[in-house]
Amino acid sequence: MKKKSVSGILTSNQMILLYIIVVLCVLIGTRNQAFLSVSTAITLCRAMLVTLCFAVCEMLIIISGGIDVSFPAIACAALFIPIKIMTDADLDSVPLAFGMAILIGLIFGAFNALLIAHIQLPPLIATLGTSSIINGGLLVFFGSREISNLPDSVDAISKQYLFTYTAPTGFEYKLTILFLIPILLCVFVAVLLRYTMLGRGIYAVGGDANAARIAGFNVRRIRVFAYTFSGAVTGLAAMAYCILMRTANPKNLMGSEMMVIAAVVVGGTRITGGHGGVLGTILGVCLITLIQNNLIMLGVPTYWQKFVVGLVIVLGTSITSLRAKRIAQGPKV
Amino acid sequence: MKKIQSMDRSLKTLLLLVAAVLLVMAIVAPGSYYGVDNLRSMIFQFPEYGIIAYGMMLAMLSGGIDLSLVGIANLVGIVAAKIMLGMGGSGASIALGCAAGILVGAACGLFNGFMIGYLRVPAMLVTLCGLQLFGGLGLAITTGPALNGLPEKFIQIANGSVGSIPIVLFIFLAVVAAMAFLTKCTVFGSHVLFMGSNAEASRYSGISILKVTLLTYMVSGILGGVSGLVIASHFGSAKSDYGSSYTLLSLLIAVLGGIHPDGGRGSVLGVTLSILLLQLISNAFSILQADTTLKTFVYGWLLIGSLAFTILMEKRAARRKGVRPAVLDKR
Repeated sequence: MKKKSVSGILTSNQMILLYIIVVLCVLIGTRNQAFLSVSTAITLCRAMLVTLCFAVCEMLIIISGGIDVSFPAIACAALFIPIKIMTDADLDSVPLAFGMAILIGLIFGAFNALLIAHIQLPPLIATLGTSSIINGGLLVFFGSREISNLPDSVDAISKQYLFTYTAPTGFEYKLTILFLIPILLCVFVAVLLRYTMLGRGIYAVGGDANAARIAGFNVRRIRVFAYTFSGAVTGLAAMAYCILMRTANPKNLMGSEMMVIAAVVVGGTRITGGHGGVLGTILGVCLITLIQNNLIMLGVPTYWQKFVVGLVIVLGTSITSLRAKRIAQGPKV
Repeated sequence: MKKIQSMDRSLKTLLLLVAAVLLVMAIVAPGSYYGVDNLRSMIFQFPEYGIIAYGMMLAMLSGGIDLSLVGIANLVGIVAAKIMLGMGGSGASIALGCAAGILVGAACGLFNGFMIGYLRVPAMLVTLCGLQLFGGLGLAITTGPALNGLPEKFIQIANGSVGSIPIVLFIFLAVVAAMAFLTKCTVFGSHVLFMGSNAEASRYSGISILKVTLLTYMVSGILGGVSGLVIASHFGSAKSDYGSSYTLLSLLIAVLGGIHPDGGRGSVLGVTLSILLLQLISNAFSILQADTTLKTFVYGWLLIGSLAFTILMEKRAARRKGVRPAVLDKR
């Protein structure tokens, strides 16, 4: 394997993202002195928690050559149905809540996999359909009323902290224990993608499904894995979101798909598949979350937020595709 | 020959489905469903998403997709409303507002086309992002609340009628005629179909992919703009999140109408029938006082079901002939 040169690393996609994030932080920091502190880091981690889980799943699927817009709907089902069942039946168990959430995610993920890997529907249309089935079905069969008193032991997790930071003003900032989920997930997916046959298979299928098939990969099984794994993790992350918000709302996460896809694409994952990595995705999520949470500090009103997120994707994809075009037109070795 | 047969099948299925809905409603609610009033209320409803569906159709025929149409529609509505309100709502201001709206629609479409054709970003991503971008721009212009108090003459476009025939029906028919002419009788139309069935081959045969893509999405954007004006006129106001269910709906219409998701195949007639079918279904839901979320649920199944049916039939036909199904090689 070829060693990457220093200048190659310095101008890689991840580094460019890192520069942008640093510049943005400095900009916000000059506007607001309070921004550059440990407390901001903790708030940012909390805000990134769920998005990061979704983004890593989405990245896995995009690398495999697909796309998934149904995860917000899956997440809504996976957080609302268990809590609804538990409050109705007066159950109170943490493993049960997470177990049910993961199971529901797994089932819908498998449904996506069935449609895309077996029947071979285009991923976008299939997941749009799944999304509307889950979305409509959830509201029809389980009601749309928010449940704000979670079972006690489930609710208690929101008061478990990894560590506490006391600001000079005396205000305490605490990092929730749920932050372990995205950390473990990122490590797991990074190892999976880099060091296992399955992980390399995901890149191969996304790069060229036919070539992967001829090379001996089981294309169908790899796609099934990507969608079911993402479904299950989406379920897990959804329950974490529910605990974090301390309420189960069947509609809260709807419409978050754009932001997650934005984060993944900005993170250097190529939308046509076969390219991407966990580190880029983490940085992408970081950038998008920073923009979302701190636009006000830069003097941009919140109603510009939607437009700015759109603009970030446009710029991100244009730069990636211009670079790809330049490489394609450049001298062939 | 094969093409004609498969097209016939999807049209036959559609007619069968229309008949089925009519039959079921004749049994369940004969009185309220079969009446002039209900027919009129249906005609007032379907043009706004029907026009969007033709934009989706054109993009899908070219082998792409346009998910940004609702965003374009709302942005156009907002721009037109701003101009009308700013100029005091005179007749000239309405004309100017509409014209500016259509221009904005065309510009949004050109932007999509540029990203897709020149930068080679997949249409799916560009237009999904366009939905965010154009909708977001609309939100930024209005800062949130709806723009109310549009001139009465403008509101009459979508709510008024000539005799007993709603004016929107004429707009809709004009769009249908224009689209039929564009796809059947112009060089551009055949280029779009050719590009949709095989982009590489059409490039080698001398078609400018960039030009056709730009034009395709521009026309699609203009249709989005027309629909945006109709929506704004219908509601009597403009807002950045009207018609959010229309993206799924227009996709469903196109797929049900026999537009193949890989591009190159489909007809205006199929889409028109499909619009009628969905309006009949939607109306049946409201007559039976069903929840709108139930509609979302059913539409989801319809979308997946009809597409799965198309693709499974295609695979079976391919297997019979002993060739490897094309879908397997593409995805």
